Amino acid sequence: MNTAYWVMFVVVGVFLVVINAALIAAVVRFRDRRDRRPARLAAGRGALRPVLGALSLIAIAIFVYGIVVTGDVREIEPSGPGGLNASQSAQVGVKGVPPATLLEGEESATGEEPITGAEPTESAPLLIDAIAQQWVWRFEYPASDGGQRPFSYGELVVPVDTTVVLNIDSTDVMHSWWVPALGGQVQAAPGEITQTWFKADEEGRYPGRSTVFSGSSYPAMRVWVDVVSVSEYESHIDQLSSDISDAQGAVAGEVADQ
Amino acid sequence: MTPPTVAPARPEVVTRGVPVTRPGWVERVTSADHKSVGQLYIGTALVFLILAATEFVLMRVQLFVPENSLISPEIFNRLLSAAGVTTVVLFAIPLALGFICYVVPLQIGARGVALPRLNLFAYWLYAIGGFAIYASFLYSVPESGAFSLPPLSETTFSPTHGVDAWITGVALACAGFTLFAVNFVVTLWTMRAPGMAWRRLPLFSWAGTATSFLLLIIAPAMLAAVVMLMIDRQFDGVFFEAGEGGAPLLYEHLAMLFAAGGYAIVLLLAAGAISEILPSFTGQPTFSHRGAAASIVAIAVLVPLAWMQSMYEAPLAEGWTLMAMGFALALVVPIGTLIFIWVATLWRGALRLRAPVLYAVGAISTMTFGLTGELAYSVIPVGWQLDNTTAAHADTLYVLVGGGVMGGFAALHYWFPKLCGRVLGEGVSKIALGVMLVGIHLYAVPMVLAGLEGQPVDLFKYYEDTGVDGYNLIASIGAFVLVAGILLELANAAHSWHNGLRAGHDPWAGSTLEWFALSPPPPHNFDAVPDVRSTEPLRDIREAVRRRTEVWETRRRAEPAAVPAPAAAPVAVAESDEPTASYRAPADEDDRDSPSVA
Repeated sequence: MNTAYWVMFVVVGVFLVVINAALIAAVVRFRDRRDRRPARLAAGRGALRPVLGALSLIAIAIFVYGIVVTGDVREIEPSGPGGLNASQSAQVGVKGVPPATLLEGEESATGEEPITGAEPTESAPLLIDAIAQQWVWRFEYPASDGGQRPFSYGELVVPVDTTVVLNIDSTDVMHSWWVPALGGQVQAAPGEITQTWFKADEEGRYPGRSTVFSGSSYPAMRVWVDVVSVSEYESHIDQLSSDISDAQGAVAGEVADQ
Repeated sequence: MTPPTVAPARPEVVTRGVPVTRPGWVERVTSADHKSVGQLYIGTALVFLILAATEFVLMRVQLFVPENSLISPEIFNRLLSAAGVTTVVLFAIPLALGFICYVVPLQIGARGVALPRLNLFAYWLYAIGGFAIYASFLYSVPESGAFSLPPLSETTFSPTHGVDAWITGVALACAGFTLFAVNFVVTLWTMRAPGMAWRRLPLFSWAGTATSFLLLIIAPAMLAAVVMLMIDRQFDGVFFEAGEGGAPLLYEHLAMLFAAGGYAIVLLLAAGAISEILPSFTGQPTFSHRGAAASIVAIAVLVPLAWMQSMYEAPLAEGWTLMAMGFALALVVPIGTLIFIWVATLWRGALRLRAPVLYAVGAISTMTFGLTGELAYSVIPVGWQLDNTTAAHADTLYVLVGGGVMGGFAALHYWFPKLCGRVLGEGVSKIALGVMLVGIHLYAVPMVLAGLEGQPVDLFKYYEDTGVDGYNLIASIGAFVLVAGILLELANAAHSWHNGLRAGHDPWAGSTLEWFALSPPPPHNFDAVPDVRSTEPLRDIREAVRRRTEVWETRRRAEPAAVPAPAAAPVAVAESDEPTASYRAPADEDDRDSPSVA
């Protein structure tokens, strides 16, 4: 994806230099002098044809290049060898984006029922629901044992070298998912589930934020992605699950006490 | 005032100096004369430019340092919501409409517009719309962002009446734009002077034609969007309620179509004005009139068709985004051709470096920065990363400032003598142009870099750990410099309106028909509407006058006593097989009395 930046940077640079140099040269060279008479040049029929041809070629070349790189970023890569073992997590037998019908029900990511007719492949990605609200993200991880899905706010923890597919939704207004190091922006629109994917090759903490104006605390709509090793991820999920069940137990106990 | 009747048969009876019985300000606000309406548009748009610049500077003050708390988030969001609508709906589009309204009927040799009262009504709809938005500062201000995207602008999230004021203002302005477009399509279709075929239409009038047709499409679309939003808010509609089967994306599509159209209109204003200015000052015709006209039309078609170019991150099917990329990249051809034609027009000419030319060249240069940036964002993986960041915003601002502000000032400089009979002071304006150029680059270059670091637009504060402090500091200084330049030039224009040097009727030796009229023109524009035989009708007239004078002078020298003075001219012209026999000579400008309507 960085190549696309550099290619376009060069194209932009060439255009800028050529246009501005031509403009300045024309202004400086052909200023009004005492003995200068305008040549009154005018294009004959077809004089613009080379210009049109060259510009069309440039436009078509960039268009074809754009289609190729777009295909590259849209196609989901399989998880690497160091990644999470796919059979433990969500089974979406995907090559490319899963069909939208699979994304609707909550049970789709629980792993209880096979989601597609296709058998789970080893490249099955980790499927996480990212739900935006004013002004925090909620992440729902796949349940490891078919029980309740663990969730967290604000920070997403994912295993390294694993393809992660995010189902992005919003419960109130428009937001967007954007972690610059891990891919482009995806709008979180209420009522529409949009998908994106990423695969982090290195462990670390990646900051991101929403780019759609969402009201008074919009600057706080930030997000962090923690990329950890597979074992750390698994213990984190276990910790999350037990924390949640503990808290729910405590609440249930309080309710029972009253 | 109704245009005075002009008897069709020669000799033409011309009513000049119609007695004005009403007070000046009543005349000013009720005159349906297209020149008066055009001046109202230009003046109102420039007032809104001051407001937009003020809001812009206030927002930049807040962003001087990270996590600043000088301006509260509510006030910042109000400024943001007002600045967005002011820049496009209340400044950029109406400025273009003002010049079109003033100049196009003169350029096509018409004595007025087809529907003068509708034209005046359209202006007042826009003016009242702007007033409605700013009047909301007295009770509750819109806070829902530059585009008021639902669901944020629905009653659940924006319960105050600020958004209602915003909707009312935008709806009135869009209704006004639609009526304006109706009037100008009719005028351009039916009121061109004899011989003014489409192929001879001046390029600014081509820009006016393209703008009118474009507005006929985008203004009703935006009107529909805000009316649906109004129904949602006030009458329990569900157009944009996702939970009830509505689609917030629908509004986004319509709003982005309108925004893209506004962007196109800024480009068209600049392209039209520059295409008139360069030939006038370089002493040669446009390198390719057909090519330039075709490019202008192609820009008007392609820019709005690429509206989804700013929606790559929205949940759209991939084919749509590829289509948007295609249209956005296709723009390389018309824009590149147009710039080529401009450079070729300068080539081997004799360019007089007056203020309009300097502004025109500055506008081209500034716009290229924004347009090439836009070209990079058209490629989906790049746009996908940089949409909604300060980088994309800086490039939009390059085009708005280059096209709308510098292009607008170029047009103002060029037609100022026609507007008020005086020249816009050049010394100060050259300084102002330099200040603006420094300011825009000082603002935009750091903002592009901050955008690459991941700073989105519309933030009321940024955090220290994001590493964009330095960029924002420089950008804020740049914003001050830019606005200082704009205000200096506006003050200069205000001063020159009454105190500028007196200009003749054709100070730049232009070749289009607006310079055939007096400065400022009388209510009926032309005493005699000339026949048009080429793309440079006024040059033909000058040429005809020169030949006639030569013949006349030769004869007078040959037989001084025998020739009776007034009768000689027509005879001489008829003999010289010049088709433009009935032209009045503009050479005796000084003899004409000045018109009474200012």
